[in-house]
Amino acid sequence: MSELTLLVLRFGFLILLWLFVLGVVYALRADLFGRGNRKPAPANAAASAPAPAAPAPSRPTPARPTANPTAATVTVNRSRTGNATASNANRLVIVQGPREGQEIPLGTGPLTIGRSADSSLVLRDDYTSTHHARLLQWNEEWMIQDLGSTNGTFLDGKRIGSPTQVPLHTPIKVGQTVFELRG
Amino acid sequence: MSAPSIVADTSVIKTMRKLRIPQTERNRELALLVVAFAVNVAMVLLVQLGATGEIETTLVSLTATLAALVFGLHICLRYVAPKADPLLLPIVTVLNGMGVAMIYRLDIAEGYTGWSAFSTRQIVWSAIAIIGAITVILVIRNHRVLFRYTYIFGFAAFVLLLLPLVPGLGRRVNGAQVWIGIGDFLTFQPGEVAKIALAIFFAGYLVRTRDSLSLVGRRFLGVQLPRLRDLGPIVVVWALSMGVIVFQRDLGTALLYFGMFTVMIYVATGRLSWVLIGLGLFGGGAAIASQSLTYVNGRFNNWLDAFSQEIYDAQGGSFQLLQGIFGLAHGGLVGTGLGQGRPAITPLAESDYIIASLGEELGLAGIFAILCLYLVFVGRGIRIGFLDGDDFGKLLALGLAFTVALQVFIMVGGVTRVIPLTGLTTPFLAAGGSSLVANWIIVALLLRVSDSARPARSGEASS
Repeated sequence: MSELTLLVLRFGFLILLWLFVLGVVYALRADLFGRGNRKPAPANAAASAPAPAAPAPSRPTPARPTANPTAATVTVNRSRTGNATASNANRLVIVQGPREGQEIPLGTGPLTIGRSADSSLVLRDDYTSTHHARLLQWNEEWMIQDLGSTNGTFLDGKRIGSPTQVPLHTPIKVGQTVFELRG
Repeated sequence: MSAPSIVADTSVIKTMRKLRIPQTERNRELALLVVAFAVNVAMVLLVQLGATGEIETTLVSLTATLAALVFGLHICLRYVAPKADPLLLPIVTVLNGMGVAMIYRLDIAEGYTGWSAFSTRQIVWSAIAIIGAITVILVIRNHRVLFRYTYIFGFAAFVLLLLPLVPGLGRRVNGAQVWIGIGDFLTFQPGEVAKIALAIFFAGYLVRTRDSLSLVGRRFLGVQLPRLRDLGPIVVVWALSMGVIVFQRDLGTALLYFGMFTVMIYVATGRLSWVLIGLGLFGGGAAIASQSLTYVNGRFNNWLDAFSQEIYDAQGGSFQLLQGIFGLAHGGLVGTGLGQGRPAITPLAESDYIIASLGEELGLAGIFAILCLYLVFVGRGIRIGFLDGDDFGKLLALGLAFTVALQVFIMVGGVTRVIPLTGLTTPFLAAGGSSLVANWIIVALLLRVSDSARPARSGEASS
């Protein structure tokens, strides 16, 4: 084996090693800059949906939500826009909490919320019950129903006792997560 | 398709989702694994060419066996943890393979073959470790199960730490009494596994108690100080670490446990005062230990005054440390080439000084590649903790990732004379079975946490 071959192989190995490192960093890029193509909402929900108004999708959120007055005040002002009905509400937007910024398109049937894995909206925090609450349509209007949770479900800051109509753009708090229904 | 009908029949939907969603994470992992295997085989071949000039197939086939096991782990992940992080496995595969190749290179220099060779044992231990990781991934389907057994893990860690002190079972090697041995053949360092049990215990304990640790207390000089009785846990862990230093003469492990606890309590409470208290306790303990314990004092002198002739010549002096540094200097920017340097001059080149050996033959370019891999590994671990929904998983992932980071810092810092050298293992690289097993289990736990941590993408909940 000649010196020259060894020299070439030696540098070849270092290049291979660095290619691996670069490959790893290249795979990281998706996490650093977002995934590019976010999954479009299903057709029925997307039909009337304007450009997403949700906050930046990959914004880092603190584990312990600090007081977030903006979300609350903004939504209170806009809460007089009427009750959410099958025709004017088509998505659920999480505005505060670990999954802030995510959206779930609404269909026509009930949407369960809780810690159990078979919930439509799975919230894993210490203050959420296994089957915490349920969003359902009743006479074409969206209602929120608490399923006997330990820490309660709050609609616009008030704990609900019975199934209650949900106005658009009104914060609903379950555990440490706050979400709204939007058109 | 709309949300309601799906909710009505979740099981069908789950199956459909499984069929429909392409396993992008796993495919990415597979692509990186192929490169990882190529790096590992290339390194073994280059070692053989550089050191002996000819290619011998035994070790190549052994490396291929390890690759097959890693591939098995990859297949398991496809079934039981499809959303797990795709970078961890390729990174540790490369690190483990580089360790094996370097140890093999040192065996060639020393003339060890067969079962007396470190490399053979390292490969067998790697195989055991990977099988262990597969077992963990298969058995622990949800890391929250561990939360239930918080105190059992705490007790297990305590017992594991005490095992080496049991007469007849404990073994003293190089002055540190941290091994247990069954017969003369099988030796194990229970402290390595204890660190995982401790991480689980700390995470569970802090999730349960952090409110009283973070909310109560008075402010002093802008830092919120905890109540005196809340200091209990940190004092207990500190006493435990000091006990390890005094009775087992193992400085590095003590530092590791204490550092891990301090960081986890800081993350759990968000109070800077815990870090200050931790650093204060550590500083005090280190100062006392360096004055009163001769072997700690010796380490300090070796570090501060390494180049004095007197210390260089002394028994247990800085000879070893300086050989490592000379080796690194000899390597320079691109190294001497695999198999062409003389790393075997340094005592313990295959364990404590593996970084110096790699630095000599791969140069600064190689060392930086290795450090980059560690950086990404630890970064991923912390990110997994950040993403995970529940507090226990958060703390656990962070604690485990930080253990690896601290070990790398202590070892690389020790070898390059940034801090006094203490005996730990460089994760995945250094020769040592217990450490390999423990670190692969850490990888398995991180993979498990990351699988449940990945947030469901928008729409996935209902489409």
